[in-house]
Amino acid sequence: MTCREGIVELVECARRAGTGARIHAEPGRELRAHLAVCAHCSERWEAELQLTAQFGVMRASAAVRESPDSRRRALLQEFSHRQARMPIQTSRAWVWTLGTAAALVFAVFVGHEAGRKAARTSASIQTRGARVEPAVLYEADAALSSDASALSSDDFVAVPYTPPLAPGEMVRIVRADLYPETLASMGVRVDPSWVAAWAADLPVEMVVGEDGIPRAVRITENNQF
Amino acid sequence: MQLSDEELYRQMRKGNRDAFAQLYERREPGLYRFALHMSGSPAVAEEVSNEVFVQLMGPAARFDETRGSLESFLYGIARNLVRVVRRQPPVAEPVDRAFEANILGELIGNETTAALHRTLRELPERYRDVIILCDLEERSYEDVARLIGRPVGTVRSRLHRGRALLAAKLKRLNAPSEVFSA
Repeated sequence: MTCREGIVELVECARRAGTGARIHAEPGRELRAHLAVCAHCSERWEAELQLTAQFGVMRASAAVRESPDSRRRALLQEFSHRQARMPIQTSRAWVWTLGTAAALVFAVFVGHEAGRKAARTSASIQTRGARVEPAVLYEADAALSSDASALSSDDFVAVPYTPPLAPGEMVRIVRADLYPETLASMGVRVDPSWVAAWAADLPVEMVVGEDGIPRAVRITENNQF
Repeated sequence: MQLSDEELYRQMRKGNRDAFAQLYERREPGLYRFALHMSGSPAVAEEVSNEVFVQLMGPAARFDETRGSLESFLYGIARNLVRVVRRQPPVAEPVDRAFEANILGELIGNETTAALHRTLRELPERYRDVIILCDLEERSYEDVARLIGRPVGTVRSRLHRGRALLAAKLKRLNAPSEVFSA
């Protein structure tokens, strides 16, 4: 047995001696033989046993302790105190959560209503007309996509406040009959004389984007438009 | 059936006072002894073991079960608190002196034990932790490996190295001419 191997074993033996397991604490035959011939390891063995004994004293002294009941009580009181404050924070958290949820619901409702209104307007444009002819698809050119007012050059009137067409977006020409007030609601100036001339509906062509929103409109049988 | 530390902690966070009390009773004595051996001062040990639970109940406690056991977390807090005490600036010197006057060994009334305890506190932390946990708290290598987050082999080698340093100190203490210089 080498000193290195011997020390590993004697440390474990000495540690076991501290647990009261005397049988396992005895060094094995090989270690005993080594200790008999190696003064260094023998000294270390004695020191390790002494160390174990000292640790026993330290353990025993650490076990002696005044009752920490007052600290325990104070700590539990502190815990209860903190918990008593917690519900306020919790209720505040609930208020915030509910408030946020309500705001979200309101926002969704407003958005939904706006969508429905837009759909109604779009639908009314298409359905209130006496006739709606099949759409013709055109690809929006650069001028059209950047500015719907460019359509005005061909007696189309740009519908104000509409989003610009995206590059490459397909547009449809939709023919329909619209009430003058529908045109007015689209932001198109309506001459009162047209109303008189056309009694009820006005035949129009609309440039409608892929989103269904009309970008420009013209009266097909009234070039005074 | 005994609830795990982690389960007690979860209940404690929900406001269960009994769970907190149970956790305190289960872990506080060990933490006290650990802090006592680390610091050598019963007063510091009391403060530290108390503060560990104050921090645990506080909103800043961020125990993550996926990163280790609650016990390991608590020992980590205790170790850090003792470190803070040990790194007190010079203005706190009178307090430190009070601790010195109150060291465990002197309470025991055994000069060798007192000197050994001082040596233990001067050991590098990596050795001191494992000696305290393995030899003073009598925890298994596996337990200590889990607590300090190191392999069992590392725990064993640190323990042997630490004991060798202490044994060398004891040898010097036993030599009559060197007792006064120790």
